[in-house]
Amino acid sequence: MKRISTSHILVALLAVFTAANVDANDGASPASKAESPTVSPEHSSHSHWAFKPPVRPEVPETTTRTWIRNPIDAFVLSRLEKEKLAPSPEADRRTLIRRLSFDLLGLPPRIEDVDAFVADKRPDAYDLLVDRLLASPHFGERWGRHWLDLARYADSDGYEKDTARPYAYLFRDWVIDAVNRDLPFDQFSIEQLAGDLLPGATEAQKIATGFHRNTLTNKEGGVDQEEFRCKATVDRVSTTATVWLGLTVGCAECHNHKYDPIAQREFYQLYAFFNNASEKDLPAPGPAELAQYRQEKERWDEERDRLQSELAAYLREKAAANQTAWEQKVKLPAERWAILTVTKAASAGGSDLKVQNDGTVVVTGKNPDKDTYTLEATTDLKNVTGFRLEVFDDPAPGKGPGRSRNGNFVLSEFKVNVELESERDWKSAATGPATPQESRRAGSPHPNPLPKEREKQAAPAATSDRSKPAPALESTLPLPKGEGRGEGEGIAKPIEGSEHRKSRAVTPITLQQASADHAPKDWPVEGAIDGNAKTGWAIDPQFDQRHVAVFETEENIEVPAGAKLIFHLDQQYGSQHTLERFRLAATSSSGPLKADLMPDSIVWILETPVERRTQKEKDALAKYYREVVDPSTRTLNGQLVAHAKKESKFPETKAQTLAENEKPRQTYIHIRGDFLRKGEEVMPGTLAVLHAFKSRKVGQASSLPPVEKHSQEGPSSGSKEGTGWKPVLPDRLDLAEWLFDPANPLTARVTANRIWSRLFGRGLVATENDFGTRGESPSHPELLDWLATEFQRLGWSRKELIKLIVTSSVYRQSSEPRSELLARDPNNLLLARQSRFRLEAECVRDAFLSAAGLISPVIGGPSIRPPLPSDIAALGYANSVKWKDSEGADRYRRGLYIHFQRTVPYPMLMTFDAPDSNVTCTRRERSNTPLQALTTLNDPVFYECAQALGRRIAGQPAADASDQIRRVFELCLSRPPTKAEFDRLTRLHEDYSELIRRAPEQAAPIAGSHGGDAGRSAEIAALVGVARTVMNLDEFVTRE
Amino acid sequence: MESNFREIVQLTRRDFLTSTASGLGALAFASMLKADGLLAKDPAPTARNPLEPRPPHFAPKANACIFIFMEGAPSQMDLFDPKPKLNELHGQKLPESLVKEVRFAFIQKDSAVIMGSPRQFTKHGQCGMELSDLLPHLGSCADDIALIRSMHTDQFNHHPGQLMMNCGVATFGKPTIGAWLNYGLGSVCQNLPGYVVLTAGRGTSGGASLWSSGFLPSNYAGVLFRNQGDPVLNLSNPPGITSEMQHLGLDAIMDLNKLRMKTVADPEIASRISAYELAFKMQTSAPELMDLSGESKATLEAYGVDRDDPRLKADRGGGPGQYRAFARNCLLARRLVERGVRFVNIYHASWDHHSNLNAELKFNAGMADQPIAALLKDLKQRGLLDTTLLIWGSEFGRTPLGENRIGREPNTGRDHHPFAFSLWMAGGGVKGGQVIGETDEIGWSIVKEPIHINDFHATILHLFGLDHERLTYRFQGRDFRLTDVAGKVFEKLLA
Repeated sequence: MKRISTSHILVALLAVFTAANVDANDGASPASKAESPTVSPEHSSHSHWAFKPPVRPEVPETTTRTWIRNPIDAFVLSRLEKEKLAPSPEADRRTLIRRLSFDLLGLPPRIEDVDAFVADKRPDAYDLLVDRLLASPHFGERWGRHWLDLARYADSDGYEKDTARPYAYLFRDWVIDAVNRDLPFDQFSIEQLAGDLLPGATEAQKIATGFHRNTLTNKEGGVDQEEFRCKATVDRVSTTATVWLGLTVGCAECHNHKYDPIAQREFYQLYAFFNNASEKDLPAPGPAELAQYRQEKERWDEERDRLQSELAAYLREKAAANQTAWEQKVKLPAERWAILTVTKAASAGGSDLKVQNDGTVVVTGKNPDKDTYTLEATTDLKNVTGFRLEVFDDPAPGKGPGRSRNGNFVLSEFKVNVELESERDWKSAATGPATPQESRRAGSPHPNPLPKEREKQAAPAATSDRSKPAPALESTLPLPKGEGRGEGEGIAKPIEGSEHRKSRAVTPITLQQASADHAPKDWPVEGAIDGNAKTGWAIDPQFDQRHVAVFETEENIEVPAGAKLIFHLDQQYGSQHTLERFRLAATSSSGPLKADLMPDSIVWILETPVERRTQKEKDALAKYYREVVDPSTRTLNGQLVAHAKKESKFPETKAQTLAENEKPRQTYIHIRGDFLRKGEEVMPGTLAVLHAFKSRKVGQASSLPPVEKHSQEGPSSGSKEGTGWKPVLPDRLDLAEWLFDPANPLTARVTANRIWSRLFGRGLVATENDFGTRGESPSHPELLDWLATEFQRLGWSRKELIKLIVTSSVYRQSSEPRSELLARDPNNLLLARQSRFRLEAECVRDAFLSAAGLISPVIGGPSIRPPLPSDIAALGYANSVKWKDSEGADRYRRGLYIHFQRTVPYPMLMTFDAPDSNVTCTRRERSNTPLQALTTLNDPVFYECAQALGRRIAGQPAADASDQIRRVFELCLSRPPTKAEFDRLTRLHEDYSELIRRAPEQAAPIAGSHGGDAGRSAEIAALVGVARTVMNLDEFVTRE
Repeated sequence: MESNFREIVQLTRRDFLTSTASGLGALAFASMLKADGLLAKDPAPTARNPLEPRPPHFAPKANACIFIFMEGAPSQMDLFDPKPKLNELHGQKLPESLVKEVRFAFIQKDSAVIMGSPRQFTKHGQCGMELSDLLPHLGSCADDIALIRSMHTDQFNHHPGQLMMNCGVATFGKPTIGAWLNYGLGSVCQNLPGYVVLTAGRGTSGGASLWSSGFLPSNYAGVLFRNQGDPVLNLSNPPGITSEMQHLGLDAIMDLNKLRMKTVADPEIASRISAYELAFKMQTSAPELMDLSGESKATLEAYGVDRDDPRLKADRGGGPGQYRAFARNCLLARRLVERGVRFVNIYHASWDHHSNLNAELKFNAGMADQPIAALLKDLKQRGLLDTTLLIWGSEFGRTPLGENRIGREPNTGRDHHPFAFSLWMAGGGVKGGQVIGETDEIGWSIVKEPIHINDFHATILHLFGLDHERLTYRFQGRDFRLTDVAGKVFEKLLA
């Protein structure tokens, strides 16, 4: 058996056991005690009803027995009898089915279902209806939405940047599914609090931990990330306590709870459970996404395999012979190029030029719009007839040889000068001229492969030592042949600031002919030597490959040893059209020079007799042949490359989850809630006023040996004393299981009460978020306890408990206010009737869409965006909120699928009191405002519903207008109109028809653009008027 | 009993529909319930009409407030709090002791230096209030203004700071000042919302959370009046529906709801009827409010509603026409207050001058100075200033240090500074012509009369006759206040 060391746990235990007695400690020094209120655990913890476990009460006897359908009725009736009040009669069937539909599905019943239920003579018709509704997949949407209120679900981060969370819906989908399959509430909860810690946790169980990923994230510039991580953790603690315990522990973030026996230390013990969790985004594509991906991928793989085998067959069977044939007939370029040794490289625009071992210049750093590179280079060639500029593709995807966005460049001017030091007694000259071989060893990594030297250079020098000085110079003046033609040549000028007085002879070299392997029509390479900075050489659209340009000198230039070639690569196009990778070479071959793309190395190999080629050279040649020359392989390779680009991407869908850190974070009390002020260290633990905490790893806490003295050290001290012992701290799974310990007095009560409140408009405990000493007492304490114990007896089945409640006589009562009750019990605490209340925001939308026949029944998936005026979205920070209206059937999805942007919530939802999703919401307000009226009257979405309903009725067979009016009424309100109602609507219909007769041009816009039958617009318009009126009645948005 | 019940419902209903002042019926209704002890624990207000005017705790000075919120934090040492020492110390580092414990949003401590100000401050009014040359018009109102140079807050990031300034705490989900005032006092305005929000410039960091009713019912949330389209979302009749048809439809809705109430005697139906009536009234009154054609030429010119924006390169967003929109909002604020609206919020974003401060602050101040001064004088001239509290404020201030964020040209702007910043109040029972508080010679810390945001809020509520400790709402088991757990009325501000 694992030896359990004590010291670290003892800290936690001590905390738990002493917390109730810890008074007035805000985590700071004792001096601050006076400022905090005192907790009196003796008073509150032991006498407060909610902290004592529920005991299953006897079902009371009542005088009237016939009313009793199940024990719920007995509890309520016995109280009513005491008050000498009679319960209300059962509501009529139309009201009942409407009530049940809204309560269980959040949708109005279909008129066919209403009629069927009214006509159903079976004795268990009601129960059958309940069963049918509980089995509907829309049940998960309705009760899932209730849960999402608690989970503060939203589709964006919150705070300034308020970045969208495109995959937040995965958690919503999980909730809907879990509710639909009636995942028992204990398991439902454990998976959300600690699904990642369950043995062999499934993807779904990890997605469930998204419950605590709905916290806010602040990505505003300059925020302290730790501050907001702490805030999120605090919220996780407070939310957990509110949702499962019905307690407000939040106060204890900063100080001991003023009223309830919760010490600040205990708050941070709970905090410690969550402090050790990290946010982890888990790839979690849905089955449909995955299936589509796999299908596409399979097709893609097949095609790739086919192309590959085709290529392999070709290479196996034909390539070698084709290569030999090619080698025999290939024409080698006439020119032989010597790579120049660049000794200095500078940028006028501040870019960073670095010379690689192979002579390539790579430009990095600052990326100015325009630039001029100046390069100083040497060559071993004695005379030069031309220069070559190679530009290389940056291997990074989307880049090219140039530094512009698409990899292009414009070489405005390419200029070359020859420069020679003219001072005779330059010191290094004393060391004497270097031979070409010496100079190569010294600084030229890439030998100049002039034909006569080539054989000596079969193995190029591999190293380069740039710290050595450039090769020494001879003092011959480098003058082009035909010296003296015109002014400007051979100007000798002193080098400023030089230690030695030296002078330079700089001679421009005239370039007469340029050619390139490729240039677009408007940017020919000739533009680079025409003296006009507005013209130049570019390479679009062939960005992702090497290119070559060659420049012929007007005359054969004699280059004395030690002379320097000074290149100016002028790039004046702008917008960063500058070179990124290039290399310079020179040649002595006589012209005309051609821009041949065959690399020098391949030329050398081809010049080497086959039998003298090394294997490496053979391989290089074969590779070159396949990749560059062979039309067959090039075609096949091209197909492969093109195919690779088409590879289907793995779906980006990522679930927001929590995962436990391997290395626990230490938790300290935050003095006064300030995360920068660390107080005492604490261990994970629960509230002393409640039942004992057990950790599944360390056994029952109370079974540990007593502690001798209170240690303030953390688990590290524990690991010191034993060998091989590792600290095992209680974790979130322990906390979650603790919540469902049968000894827990709160969770079952709190949850049963919350379920009750969704079905009666208020809880048996009206303060459904506060079961503490400041909360209200239950109106029916025995009933609450009976429900709490029954809930557990039913295996925490949400559906079973709901079924029990909605099949009671209490639930089935009429909700009509009774005069004698209004005075005695206006808030309906005694439950002598049902309650009548306005639908929630989402249900208001759903009721409109349903009556209109527009509603999309699709369940789950990404959030949708109904139409929203652009200036409303623009209220988000600096136009960062992107709101693209959904199209097609997505426009008509249920309200719970509306994208919830925290800083710019969808106005209709807020107008109807949807929670702002920033903190957990246990009860929605039910306001009644003019903005609500404006919304249902005029909002385009709601108007569209009225129009659709008008058209819907017009499209159905009807005897006359009266028939149509009745149908509108019944479709909306699930009942026929009374005579007075019918007469009033008939009058409205007549008035409307008359107005439209007088202004017929209004008919088409009212009937709507999808009116279809233009001849009936007037008829449809009048019906739209009736529909819009009925949909704006109090009864339409009220659950009775 | 039955007749009694009918009477109550009728009485209640009549009250909703007609009462502007007394609300006696609803109060009687509520007190009847209270007598039975059934409502005793319900949070106030108990009346069924949540916007029914309610008496304050004691005699108020103010009955309306216009809060001009300069989102992003204007630089106080370039507008309100002259610090000549900054020019002397320009380019020098601060002693490490001062910045050691401080967290900045963007400043790199190692190389941060003090940044001087090119602004000229002159004395204004009989009180001799020193204001920057960017605020010449405001200078002419100095004797009506109480300038506070010693505000401080807990937050140094925008959105939390803005929540703090509006809600008293830096967390989402809490009501704003405007929501609290409407909750505490109700609204006397029968055809407009009690809390109206006007915006100009770009979107703020806080978005709509800055006028949320938080945990209070949505009756108390700010209603955005838009700069385009309908002044209020969904105010206009939909396509094809003429006002005659709208009227017909509403009549039918009223009649049918009344018929329903005969069967189901739920006062909530009466409440729905009154909501529809107010909605219908708003359809007329809101466009009338927005229509400035009745304003005199002199008034329009005083506010500068036709001023074009000066040219400014690389501003902080918000697009063209900000000068017009802001001036118009100031004028609308007066019109709203005239019509009995309790709380008007004017937002302008952004004043977050991390760089290019001199040019951009000049642009913003040029936009704000004239219309705000005109508003103040206009209120005064119409006798509204005595009961209307006018506030210029923001979420925090800016540093005396220049900002040296990596990757930007250093010292052309200032970073966030929560330890000392300026705001001003006028009218509504505030004693004008005084400067409250003092900061040290570089404006880093407060040396005299510090006022925390909770104190500021306590003072605002006091001006409205409300005790900030008594104006509470029970939510999640706790009685919440605008002032959280702190706040002290700053007596010196009171006239």
